[in-house]
Amino acid sequence: MSRTMLTGNVAAAWGARLAGIEYLPAFPITPQTEIIETISRWIETGEMDCRMTTLESEHSMVTAAGAAAAAGVRVFTATSSQGLLYGMEMLYTTAGWRAPFVLVNVSRGLSSPITLEPDHNDILAARDSGFLQLHCATCQEVLDGVLVAYRLAEDERVRLPVIVNMDGFHLSFTREPVEITDAAAAARFLPPFDPGNLGFRAGAPLSEAVAVLGGSPYSYFRYQVHLAALNAEAVFPSIAGEFHRAFGRPFPAVETYRCDDAEVVFVMMGSFATKAKAAVDRLREAGEAVGLVRPVMLRPFPSAALREALAGKRGIAVVDQNLSPGRGGVLHTEISAALQGCAGPSPVLASFVGGLGGREIASEEFCEMAAVARRAAAEGRAPEPRLLFTEAERKEMRNLQAIALARGARERRP
Amino acid sequence: MYRIRFHGRGGQGVKTASRILGTAFFLSGFEVQDAPRYGAERRGAPIFAYVRADRRPIHERGVIRDPGLVLVADETLVAISAASVLEGVGARTAFLVHSGEETQTWRDRLDLAGPVVTLPVAGPHGEGLEARYVGAACAAAAACLAGVVSLGAVEEAVREELEGLADEVIARNREHARWAYGLMEPLRGCVEPDPAHPAGPIPPPGWVELPFEDARVSAPATHAGVTSTLVKTGLWRTVRPVIEHARCRGCWWVCGSLCPDGVIGVDEAGRPWIDYDHCKGCMVCLSQCPNRAIDAIPERDARGAESAGGEK
Amino acid sequence: MSETRFRTMKDLPAAHLLGTGTAMCAGCGGLEALHQIYDILGEKTVFINAAGCMTLLAIYPYTPFGGSWLYSAMASAPAGAQGVRDALDILLSKGRISPEEDLTAVVLTGDGSAYGMGLSAASGTIERGLDFIYVCYDNEGYGNTGQQHSGATPHGARTSTSRGRSGFPGFKKDLFAVWVSHRPSYAATVVGSEPLDLARKIEKAKGLRGPRLILALAPCPTGWDFDPAEAARIGKLAVETGVWPLKEYFDGRVTFTRAPKKRLPVEEYLEVQGRFAHLFHPRRNEVLLGDIQAQVDAAWREAESQGLPEK
Repeated sequence: MSRTMLTGNVAAAWGARLAGIEYLPAFPITPQTEIIETISRWIETGEMDCRMTTLESEHSMVTAAGAAAAAGVRVFTATSSQGLLYGMEMLYTTAGWRAPFVLVNVSRGLSSPITLEPDHNDILAARDSGFLQLHCATCQEVLDGVLVAYRLAEDERVRLPVIVNMDGFHLSFTREPVEITDAAAAARFLPPFDPGNLGFRAGAPLSEAVAVLGGSPYSYFRYQVHLAALNAEAVFPSIAGEFHRAFGRPFPAVETYRCDDAEVVFVMMGSFATKAKAAVDRLREAGEAVGLVRPVMLRPFPSAALREALAGKRGIAVVDQNLSPGRGGVLHTEISAALQGCAGPSPVLASFVGGLGGREIASEEFCEMAAVARRAAAEGRAPEPRLLFTEAERKEMRNLQAIALARGARERRP
Repeated sequence: MYRIRFHGRGGQGVKTASRILGTAFFLSGFEVQDAPRYGAERRGAPIFAYVRADRRPIHERGVIRDPGLVLVADETLVAISAASVLEGVGARTAFLVHSGEETQTWRDRLDLAGPVVTLPVAGPHGEGLEARYVGAACAAAAACLAGVVSLGAVEEAVREELEGLADEVIARNREHARWAYGLMEPLRGCVEPDPAHPAGPIPPPGWVELPFEDARVSAPATHAGVTSTLVKTGLWRTVRPVIEHARCRGCWWVCGSLCPDGVIGVDEAGRPWIDYDHCKGCMVCLSQCPNRAIDAIPERDARGAESAGGEK
Repeated sequence: MSETRFRTMKDLPAAHLLGTGTAMCAGCGGLEALHQIYDILGEKTVFINAAGCMTLLAIYPYTPFGGSWLYSAMASAPAGAQGVRDALDILLSKGRISPEEDLTAVVLTGDGSAYGMGLSAASGTIERGLDFIYVCYDNEGYGNTGQQHSGATPHGARTSTSRGRSGFPGFKKDLFAVWVSHRPSYAATVVGSEPLDLARKIEKAKGLRGPRLILALAPCPTGWDFDPAEAARIGKLAVETGVWPLKEYFDGRVTFTRAPKKRLPVEEYLEVQGRFAHLFHPRRNEVLLGDIQAQVDAAWREAESQGLPEK
């Protein structure tokens, strides 16, 4: 099969096109806009048979997406950052409707201060919404992830919406060779949406998403969302296996890279994990037994696969591209919990927060993180969490502050 | 610990009663919790409120399920199972009901083993106890039955809880509190504090594994139409509109359209009829009937007439 | 309206479609309007509800609807209608449902959402020309949370967040005019106490396509502090005093459908509601009463200066 140079955004649009989406509620936001622009162009040229409606906000966009899914059509939508947060109420709400659809989020750091560069605080804010989450590291994975996401979302053992996440700029605006799946093969992998008993029809009364009184029915309905999400972990391997057989590309819940004999591993999500891969290669050349474990699926949390991947490792460097103020890295917390109570010697975890707001993570920083994790393993003691921030950056900040905090030039005049 | 539950209807001052009693206990040096509990229902619907009081810090929370004293501001609630007036009423539970009937009648009717007392509907002056003072009267009665809160504390609590209302209203509430407190003097202290924890073996909670169920059944969606009629909102009603067919001119389009709940239908003869299972007793029909053909009958009397007539 | 099937009150529906047994307050003016509206719109509808009192119409597993219902959120019910309408159009165009299975999308919202949080979603949906009906039950405050003032609260009314001697200092927003400025296919004010006028307007709205507003004044015994039995009388007084003009917008023009020949003094409407009691007790607030009357008079003068009312 031939490969084409695509940005992550266009790869997402291709995923939607191959999924045969019928409805696109949309709202522009950088760095996601290219997705909806691409699809709208295909709709105009007749290459896609899809209805697109531009709403007046992401809150309305997610509402329309959920409502249309509840009405029984295949829905795709996309947003980023502030937009995801603006629609947050409806993420929780529509997940409870048990109406499956797919939302691509292009990760971007959150205000304040407002920024355009990527990190994962936006997507992690949606962690507990009931949406499933797939985190992509390449443009190919974005396209593949959209197809896999629909199979997962629409599986009758699941029936939950899914977010496919990619990093702003590093994937959204970065072109890479992407294999565009054959449309017929895609249609075989992903047959038309069978809405089951979803849908509003004359003669078939349906009161959807009604209120409950009391904690018992509420507990039942929310816990069913949890059980459905857990089912997604169970059904994922067969869907991913089918995908692999159909297209020759794996789509694992957890990717492991040079892990088998590794003593120290990085744990990272998203496109920056490919930087970790590069560092792994560099360290391997230097004779160090280092690997990478990358959760692709974050919800449901693939605890079993992660435990298996991390079993026997001595040191783990968890690199969080997010920050939970007052706690630290979110992934570090989740990995710690997953390893708690496992049989065998426990690995020592080192927590690093890096890449906030798109801040670069240099190759030598990965090497240093591996060294810290190795020393910690040897000492049997977890080090203090660290923010990746260098002396040069501190100086740069001081220079900026010298301007920001000085009295204005005009005032200084005599 | 004293565990006391008030039952009434939305708008009857049950929440205020619990606050007056809570404050009265607090002023008497107790640790206290008071809280109202209401769901989606509105004015006229059964609600309850509760008070816990103890000399030691209170660690319990939430609805009282094992009351030492239950007070019922509206006797029509007792027969309504959804009102749960009798929930947790045990051998030692004292029971006060605002009623014109004898205590023995209530004791026999409900097979109560604990002390039973009525708050007479005649009121302090024999002219009938106005609904707006029932709350203060019930709070004062509860204070006296518990026996550890002085009348002075109750009167001070009435003043604090009703602050902002007209002086005359507060004075009338205090008068009703004094009246009810005095009435209960012969039974003063009949409600004894219960132990913090029930004695005996601790029963298992009966947990089950909640299995995954298909979204077809496990989403909060109702696939049947017009199921709301299973909810008998007629229970909210304290006064019943009765169409006097001799006076009715059959203009059903007036009452039928204006009834907010749409409970007035038309029979084959073109005469309007009222669905009492669902009529909330708002009386819009009565006030709008052009020929004044609708009467207001207290629900107590209407039900009495029904049972006398052998009807359901 | 010569072609209406509702020529007199006798033509109104005798049997009612909306289920009884809902949790709305006794004497709810909003429910009075809604059950009349539902009788005419019928069960080939899907109501998309914004958070408000009427969220509690459907409490699992109980629903008063023989048609469909979707609870959305406070801000985005019109967007829910957009999603449902768009999906139904897709299903129709692909033959996955038959035209007989099609439904009319109806937003159901209180004034708290309609005049405030949900205004942006409504505006966007009208501007997109969505084929839907928007029903607002306007009880002039955040009624479901205990009647705090909203963008719909009238000048001088006491609310739980405006308890002072002069009541609410702001002024009721003109939502009808906000809608009309969007040039919808139809907009009308109604009140449940005027069932014939209401029926004719719902009938007319039902026969049109595009964005249609039904703005229903909803006398609220709980929030406005009056005896539930007075709900219909207060609705009628709102019309007879000119406080709530019954009008409609169609084809670019506003028409008054039931202009009182001689308006009653506005205080006849005010004095029967506890929320205005401070205007009369302990002494009459002549200044504020005068202001409120003057506002009503000015609104009618403005209408008359434009050649209205003409019906």
